[in-house]
Amino acid sequence: MSGIWQTTSSADYNLEPEGGRDDAPPTAGVIDGGSIPYLPQALAQKQKNFDARLTADPRLKCFTLGTPRGIYYPEPFQIFQRSQDITVFFEFGDSVRTIHTDGTLHPVDTDNEFWLGDSRGHWEGDTLVVDVTDFSDETWLDRSGDFHSHDLHVTERWHLLDANTLDYQATLEDPKVYSRPWTIDVILYRHREKNFQLIENYCYTHPFDQYYPYPKKDAPPTAGTPSTPAGVAP
Amino acid sequence: MRRTVSVRNSSLLPLVLVLCAVAPLAAQSPPAGQPPLMGQRFQKTVPHIESGPWKGPRLSDGQPDIQGDWSNTIANHNNFTDPQGVIPGDPQARRRSPGPREERAPSRVSDPSDGQVPFLPWARKVQEQLLANSFDPVEPEFVEPLARCAPAGVPKSFYWHGYEIRQFPGYIVFLFNSGSRIIQLSDSPHLPKNIKLWNGDSRGHWEGNTLVVDVSNLNSKARFGRTQEFASENVHVVERYIFDNDRKSYNYVATFTDPTVFTRSWTTTIPARRYTVADRPDEWHYEVKPANAPGKPPIPDHFERVCVENDEGFGRVATSAQTTSGTPTTAPQPTAQH
Repeated sequence: MSGIWQTTSSADYNLEPEGGRDDAPPTAGVIDGGSIPYLPQALAQKQKNFDARLTADPRLKCFTLGTPRGIYYPEPFQIFQRSQDITVFFEFGDSVRTIHTDGTLHPVDTDNEFWLGDSRGHWEGDTLVVDVTDFSDETWLDRSGDFHSHDLHVTERWHLLDANTLDYQATLEDPKVYSRPWTIDVILYRHREKNFQLIENYCYTHPFDQYYPYPKKDAPPTAGTPSTPAGVAP
Repeated sequence: MRRTVSVRNSSLLPLVLVLCAVAPLAAQSPPAGQPPLMGQRFQKTVPHIESGPWKGPRLSDGQPDIQGDWSNTIANHNNFTDPQGVIPGDPQARRRSPGPREERAPSRVSDPSDGQVPFLPWARKVQEQLLANSFDPVEPEFVEPLARCAPAGVPKSFYWHGYEIRQFPGYIVFLFNSGSRIIQLSDSPHLPKNIKLWNGDSRGHWEGNTLVVDVSNLNSKARFGRTQEFASENVHVVERYIFDNDRKSYNYVATFTDPTVFTRSWTTTIPARRYTVADRPDEWHYEVKPANAPGKPPIPDHFERVCVENDEGFGRVATSAQTTSGTPTTAPQPTAQH
């Protein structure tokens, strides 16, 4: 599975079927069974999230996308494989997830609240099966406000359909939010463009990027900028 | 040195756990023959490691196997050219004198021989200005970007906490405390010049025991220390990671060329040592926790590194620096607890 992958699906816009809206294309959804089986109270929270999506989506702050969202977010990620682990390196935010495949178990303490969860995987034939637990409740599942609680438990199944096509399934369980487990299925394609590479994207630096580097290359500092520095020897 | 950890933000819990992980993975104290912890962190000298053949084990693609956990052996990022000295002008500096200069580790600038960054006069003036204003930053540019969770960049990543190196066919991946870096082992062209990045764009190859990396496309927003040394977007860096055949140490030797900021090319040398399960996790150089692996030999788990998600900001430290009469009570090291 080593290589650079990306989905062409609209999963990050909405996991559920939708006819399209100003900020999302139409999509048939990626959920087995069509929709997310929210508990009534959770459905109300999802609606609140949806209404606030243009400001409240953690993606807008470049926060770590979480699992499974990072996988179907429309920006490439790179898989690096060793026998003991699989490194999933996301271009978005340069966040890095490790899937341990060395037989180690989830940590004994279960309140770590990882943004990406704790991932322990094993191979079943040529399918990588990953158990992911111990989540923060601060990540969203898509741009439509779909969400989960700390109790999220994800089971992933990664399977190569051919050398350049990867089938990714994830089953989500969360008894505080969903009435039953539900499964998404997205296809990932290998980037085969000449010299394609991840480009560092620490997008959380954008709010303060403007202040650096200092001095600006087009504004040589001979004038003694910035404004009134304190304590500078003449 | 750390910000107060907010218990309101439950995502900090793993960090607290890491902070509390004082027990060594395999033993309660360093194995016999190892120097005490402080001695490992603050060595006074830089070992000489010669570039030459690699005699150690290799990976399947032929690369020397240098994977694992590493950290610098001299001091943290406080002072770039006097690593064990105080930060000039720091109101929080300890009253105790650090002693004569010759009793401290040498400058990280190994060439020129005076140990100073050969700034052009205007650039020296700016560095001094940035330094003088760093303790009570009244303008946004006086806050070092690392304090806002930005990547530590090149070269500071190598003396800002420990880090992990993973190797794969055709690649070397660095997982720093603040930021990550992919080094392609290929001669494919660098990214277009107008793309500027915190860690730049890296192409590497092995020459015996030495990993040689050409770094371009640096945005030069990261600074080299709390002493505020810097380069410009025109900088070009050639790194040489010279690994000792004992597999326990290496020197990071990087040459910086930027005629718009420096009078000449200059070189920094940063010694590093390997950390293993025999070492005690210390919240700084070796941030691991024993994996849950019943019946197996000790395996270190590296917890996820997040910063901006929990950062109510250095942001906040900077603000308090602006709105209170004193200087910040904590050094801006937002990822110390990550």
